[in-house]
Amino acid sequence: MNTFTESEERQALRAAVADLGRRYGGEWFQRKARGGEKTTELWTEAGKLGYLGVNVPEEYGGGGGTIGDLAAVCEELSAAGCGLLLMVVSPAICATIITRFGTDEQKQAWLPRFADGSLRMAFAITEPDAGSNAHKLTTTARRDGDDWVLNGRKVFISGVDEAAAVLVVGRTEDARTGRLKPALFIVPTDAPGFEYQPIEMDIVSPDKQFMLFLDDVRLPADALVGSQDAALMQLFAGLNPERIMAASFAVGMGRYALDRAVAYAGDRSVWSTPIGAHQGIAHPLAVAKIELELAKLMTQKAAALYDSGDDAGAGESANMAKYAAAEASIKAVDAAVQAHGGNGLTAEYGMGALVAASRVNRIAPVSREMILNFVAQNTLGLPKSY
Amino acid sequence: MPNIVVLVKQVPDTYSERKLSEGDHTLDRDFADAVLDEINERAIEEALQIKEAHDGEVTVLCVGPDRATDAIRKGLSMGADKAIHVLDDALHGSDLLQTAKVLAAAIRTVEDVDLVIAGNEASDGAGGAVPAVVAELLGYPQLTHAREVTVDGTTVKVTRETEDGLTHLEASLPAVVSVGEKINEPRYPSFKGIMAAKKKPVETVDIADLGVDAGDVGLANAWSTVVEAAPKPPREAGQRVEDDGDGGVKIAEYLVGQKLI
Ligand SMILES: Cc1cc2nc3c(=O)[nH]c(=O)nc-3n(C[C@H](O)[C@H](O)[C@H](O)COP(=O)(O)OP(=O)(O)OC[C@H]3O[C@@H](n4cnc5c(N)ncnc54)[C@H](O)[C@@H]3O)c2cc1C
Ligand SMILES: Cc1cc2nc3c(=O)[nH]c(=O)nc-3n(C[C@H](O)[C@H](O)[C@H](O)COP(=O)(O)OP(=O)(O)OC[C@H]3O[C@@H](n4cnc5c(N)ncnc54)[C@H](O)[C@@H]3O)c2cc1C
Repeated sequence: MNTFTESEERQALRAAVADLGRRYGGEWFQRKARGGEKTTELWTEAGKLGYLGVNVPEEYGGGGGTIGDLAAVCEELSAAGCGLLLMVVSPAICATIITRFGTDEQKQAWLPRFADGSLRMAFAITEPDAGSNAHKLTTTARRDGDDWVLNGRKVFISGVDEAAAVLVVGRTEDARTGRLKPALFIVPTDAPGFEYQPIEMDIVSPDKQFMLFLDDVRLPADALVGSQDAALMQLFAGLNPERIMAASFAVGMGRYALDRAVAYAGDRSVWSTPIGAHQGIAHPLAVAKIELELAKLMTQKAAALYDSGDDAGAGESANMAKYAAAEASIKAVDAAVQAHGGNGLTAEYGMGALVAASRVNRIAPVSREMILNFVAQNTLGLPKSY
Repeated sequence: MPNIVVLVKQVPDTYSERKLSEGDHTLDRDFADAVLDEINERAIEEALQIKEAHDGEVTVLCVGPDRATDAIRKGLSMGADKAIHVLDDALHGSDLLQTAKVLAAAIRTVEDVDLVIAGNEASDGAGGAVPAVVAELLGYPQLTHAREVTVDGTTVKVTRETEDGLTHLEASLPAVVSVGEKINEPRYPSFKGIMAAKKKPVETVDIADLGVDAGDVGLANAWSTVVEAAPKPPREAGQRVEDDGDGGVKIAEYLVGQKLI
């Protein structure tokens, strides 16, 4: 990136998505969530317009754009109050991995449906005993003839109820050494032996999290993504887009809260002036604005590096962007709740719901602490405690 | 295969605060965000639907300053094929009649026009007469206030909706149609549309190219001038009526007080 303004097309994309988002909006989103409903209309419409498949190659019906484009879509919907969490997973992680490492047949089979959003694919790495520490994954795949047989447990997996398949990170036994090494499998959600149960979360969102139970799930040979030896590369390929998208999702959420707070604080008077005139209210909102802009800039940098093919450079920026965006979104929501006074915790204004939602940004997909570990060890060269 | 020209205008976003410049009472373009007028999105949508049904070509035509390219781009990203941008500093402050004259001159440069589609009225000036004036200048029939448009061979049929009710109009092509709010829901530009828009041809012309005399356009030569302008007074806070079972009575009392009933 040698300029600090986005291309004309990127700006036009943002404007178009923001228009669409405004038609649905935060009240609609929370009403759906509280009513136990889904955001299918928005997902479908955004998909038809090609917004969810901007990064899928043109030959598979996608937009032929970049992760930066996809991140812009994610941020703008989130900034309208109707962020689509599964964008972080389905087009960003799953479509990227299949595009970069899938076999031709896998690309033919899956990418056209990522392109128009008609497919949602969940991504499952977290396990009950292997959260932050992916080295302890125990979901294993055993070869049986040509088939694979999967066994394991996953936890906190988003959107499984709406997904046609789940990209499951498991391990296979190396035939020669007997050591376990990672492997990625596309598991249809209707596969025999595959079960999922919702986890009751204190988050107001239409997107739910699930426990997965894989008991002798038999899969054909082509369920394995790409070649077995490339699994680690595949995982790394998915990580940067995931972080960039999570950062964009968080920046958008912060922008939404801030917009609402500014409107409220400019309108509501308790004494003679609107409360936005009091620095106790105005300054935290100004801080939120600055920190959101900084986070957004770092996110754009990470996307630009990733899109230019600099995976390593993108890694550091993507982690920093994810950290900064999560913190900025939490602060923005905090300031917004406070600016709303008692209304900050009413369902009508919807700010209280963002308190828990914004805390997710600090935990998933990679926690604040793990990012700080990464920066301490990789960027600063400090020794490791674990 | 109708050849359609859509007249589009860039206007200050109705979401933002709009202002006239202190000096000459022309629009203060720095003040508000500029967007493609929503009624023109509907005009483009109608043109695209006709194109999708009958093939043909859609040209967007805009008279406006430099930054009106954004509005033109939006039209192209929705699916229009090409654009004409009439860009000339001499046009600053032109009124409705002058603008219509320039539009008509620009439409004449397009070969074999079948249909000109415009919005009923722009959300800023709200003159509501450009389509009629353009039709008059071109000698085309005008079918205004359309809520439904169908093209069939060389005729166009329009359901015209005004406060007085519905009228069914029919004219032979070429014709000018202006559309109302209810005509359709404009599409959002798709990602591919946005990416393709940049490569579509935009012909930028000045008034000399159109054979329009500079002495005929611009603020100094306008037929109408804005003498004075004052911002709308802020809306007064409403009166809240608590309904303790007598809400209806209270509303009636209020309306009587206002001499409304
Ligand atoms: C709403 C939501 C959606 C999610 N969606 C998905 C999904 O779709 N797919 C998926 O695979 N996962 C998903 N997750 C899981 C998420 O990625 C994990 O929750 C996250 O990685 C943290 O893992 P954990 O919950 O096991 O926490 P743990 O690993 O148990 O960590 C607990 C705490 O200890 C800290 N900690 C752990 N190790 C260290 C260390 N070495 N140094 C310092 N601190 C440390 C962590 O930062 C954290 O604060 C989701 C989670 C949530 C909340
Ligand atoms: C769960 C809950 C229970 C409640 N229970 C009761 C109850 O039992 N009885 C009751 O009477 N009320 C109750 N309240 C109301 C509560 O006391 C008010 O919400 C609180 O006093 C703030 O008033 P407000 O909501 O009108 O906010 P506002 O007065 O509108 O304030 C909005 C924001 O502006 C700030 N602000 C306002 N003026 C200034 C200033 N001059 N300088 C700097 N900052 C300023 C405030 O600090 C606040 O952050 C309850 C509220 C909640 C959320």
